[in-house]
Amino acid sequence: MQSSNLSGLSIEGIAKSYGATVALERVSIHLAAGQVHALLGENGAGKSTLVKILSGVVRPDTGQMLLDGQTYMPGTILDARARGVATAFQELSLPSNLTVAECLLMPTLRKGRGGLVSARRTVAAAAEILARYDLRSVAPSALISDLSLAERQRVEIVRAFHHADRVLVLDEPTAALSDVTWLFDQIRRATARGIAILYISHRLAEVRSLCPVATVLRNGRSVATVDLRQADDDEIFELMVGHSKASESVRRSRVTVGAPVLEVRGLTTPKLADVSFTIGAGEILGVSALDGQGQRSLFYALAGLEKRLAGEVLVEGRPSRPGKPGDALRDGIGLLPEERKTEGILANLSSASNIVLPILDRIGRRGFVWPALERAAALESARAVELSPRYVSFRIGDLSGGNQQKALLARTMASGARTLLLFDPTRGVDVGTKEAIYAAIQAFADRGGSVLMYSSELPEIVRLADRCLVLYGGRVFTELAGPELEERTMVAALTGYTSAPLARGAAR
Amino acid sequence: MTPATLDPALSASKDERRVTRVRPELVTVLSTFALSALLIVASRFVSPALGSWGQAATVVSLSSFLIVAAFGQGLVILVGGLDLSVASLITLSAVLCTTWVGPEAGAAGILLIPAILVVCALIGAVSGLGITVLGIPPFIMTMATGIIVAAGALGYTSGTPRGSAPAPLLALMKGEVAGIPLLLIFTAAFVIAAAVLQQATGFGRRLYAVGASARAAFVAGVPVTRTVVAAYMLSATASGVAGLMLVGYSDGATLRMGDSYLLPTIAAVVVGGSSILGGSGSFVATVGGAVLLTTLGTVIAALGIGQGWRTVIEGSIILIALLLLRENTFARIRSWFPR
Repeated sequence: MQSSNLSGLSIEGIAKSYGATVALERVSIHLAAGQVHALLGENGAGKSTLVKILSGVVRPDTGQMLLDGQTYMPGTILDARARGVATAFQELSLPSNLTVAECLLMPTLRKGRGGLVSARRTVAAAAEILARYDLRSVAPSALISDLSLAERQRVEIVRAFHHADRVLVLDEPTAALSDVTWLFDQIRRATARGIAILYISHRLAEVRSLCPVATVLRNGRSVATVDLRQADDDEIFELMVGHSKASESVRRSRVTVGAPVLEVRGLTTPKLADVSFTIGAGEILGVSALDGQGQRSLFYALAGLEKRLAGEVLVEGRPSRPGKPGDALRDGIGLLPEERKTEGILANLSSASNIVLPILDRIGRRGFVWPALERAAALESARAVELSPRYVSFRIGDLSGGNQQKALLARTMASGARTLLLFDPTRGVDVGTKEAIYAAIQAFADRGGSVLMYSSELPEIVRLADRCLVLYGGRVFTELAGPELEERTMVAALTGYTSAPLARGAAR
Repeated sequence: MTPATLDPALSASKDERRVTRVRPELVTVLSTFALSALLIVASRFVSPALGSWGQAATVVSLSSFLIVAAFGQGLVILVGGLDLSVASLITLSAVLCTTWVGPEAGAAGILLIPAILVVCALIGAVSGLGITVLGIPPFIMTMATGIIVAAGALGYTSGTPRGSAPAPLLALMKGEVAGIPLLLIFTAAFVIAAAVLQQATGFGRRLYAVGASARAAFVAGVPVTRTVVAAYMLSATASGVAGLMLVGYSDGATLRMGDSYLLPTIAAVVVGGSSILGGSGSFVATVGGAVLLTTLGTVIAALGIGQGWRTVIEGSIILIALLLLRENTFARIRSWFPR
């Protein structure tokens, strides 16, 4: 970074950890005024943490930022706005019970007589803002909850444009937009005014048409800033993946795949279209996808947490149509949910109570579940995931994320299900715990269980899975197996690129 | 670029924490009982007639109604709800008992007693279904069923409940076996059975799970709706039993019989250290809370203070008890004494 280049935003050596998890290790980027700068990286590379730091949601542990030569360290979103930095967030941040006008003008609504908020003036001011950004199709008095997803995203974007005098952060702004011309026009007008834009998208084609430069983020580090006119796609994918240690580690020794255990045919939900696959006994089928490609819907529909629109699911030849997770368990399907804190642990109870929850009726003697029985059953399950016996009597909320996850995996495995649905089983978990979780999953498969596993970390899929489905836009984009099951091919497939014949589907 | 290494401080072997030997629940139970005993002894200074074994026995029998009703309230609070229909169900079961069964009932008439409890359970099921299936907040739903039931009792009796207690209920309240009051035996048996149901059955464990996090329990396969409805049914039944006991105690029923029990059931649960938000607590602690509240009531009554001031004192003491008996109070006290 040249110190002479004062105009724009300089990010220098930013680091941020959440407890044991290092989200950002060392990130340096210079956003030049009047330029669109792309930020590329896999899931978990640290993109969202960087966005949060830029917009004042979290503060970095170390490092500094300079905005037009002045120190920039916002403590809140309003601080950031006051300095002319605004963000359109990926997970839309508009409160659904407010009107478009209120969302655009909060926290300073237009006042009328007597200092009270005037709805009429607020709406008029909002209409003016919407007109300025060519979004006349949205009524300023409409409730956010009445808007379509695309309209909400546009309002979110307009709000960010409205507040961004110096720097604008767009986090996956096209995720819900089918037509991008409006957005691209606004971006060109903003850069013409000298605004620096950080553009985050996984759609490489889009990035190439907008941005001259891109910074690649990997494992919390900014690994390279490349001139996009010079670099080809392969180089960029290579940078995103790197040569990580895990991919060189030994692949799991293959067990002969037995008879089909889980057969899914044409499964369709509001977020999933016509997904079919089969998992045999002893097989681990990986699922890989960028955020929000329907993977959650797939897992939750199989576990009875989401409604299905069409399709058929057979477990060992018998149809499975669970209305709730309890039904799915009875059919032999156990889910490790996505959200450990809200859908996984019962924070106030002991690890033992958490582990034995689905098997209470089985471990009881004549209907009585004495504490000693609960403890004995929990200890046995804990052994399978290498959860230290000491932790079994701890309140689970007091354990580290890794140990909580081990306990939840122990619960799912102890439930007696022969098919496990593991949704990102090592999210936010330290390295040592990861190894224990991998070992437990492999052991489960070696005993003849079948596993469907989604992971946001590619090396994990490469290491554990026998085959891998790549989901894109709610469909099976491709299925990778054998030598194709390798990180670079996967990164390309995730973003909708493939060198192999396209989308041959996964139905067999 | 340096490879990511695991901070040794994060590995499990460095974790020095131990399971706390003395469980905070046990501390709460012991404190409530100790406070009750202390109150009874201290009341001797107020009046020499007080502070005797006789008074202790009176307190135990008076608290039996509250103990039974608070069991149900405790289950409902455990699953993160609240039962405001306790008072109405006590009244309903009392009114039904004197009119349906009455003093001269034969063997057939006595069989109506279980029928009264079934009616209570069904009303509890209505509350539970309204809360789980229709998504009505527990507070509103149980208040509504409570009002409807109370109004129903008023209509059914045309304002004046008739009849008196059947003989078996009178015997329960006044009888003795080998010199021990039957009521004491009954209450002890109830407490043991209820505590076992709550602590050591699959159903009881699931109540805790639902209270800790209904969503997580649901994802783990717990039948949440069924569990919550069962809690409300048991609560209504427990209120029904308390109503029957009150009929035996006062040999009759009135339309306001249960009114003075609603808030004490909630207070007993909370003074016993359960979280009002659900997911924690034990019934034995609730029993401690009920005994403490009853002791407090009798001692204050003996002071000869007017009704208004009596309630003010009672309320203040409950507030202080709540502040003192909170779980983190003990954690704080412990932190004052470094090892």
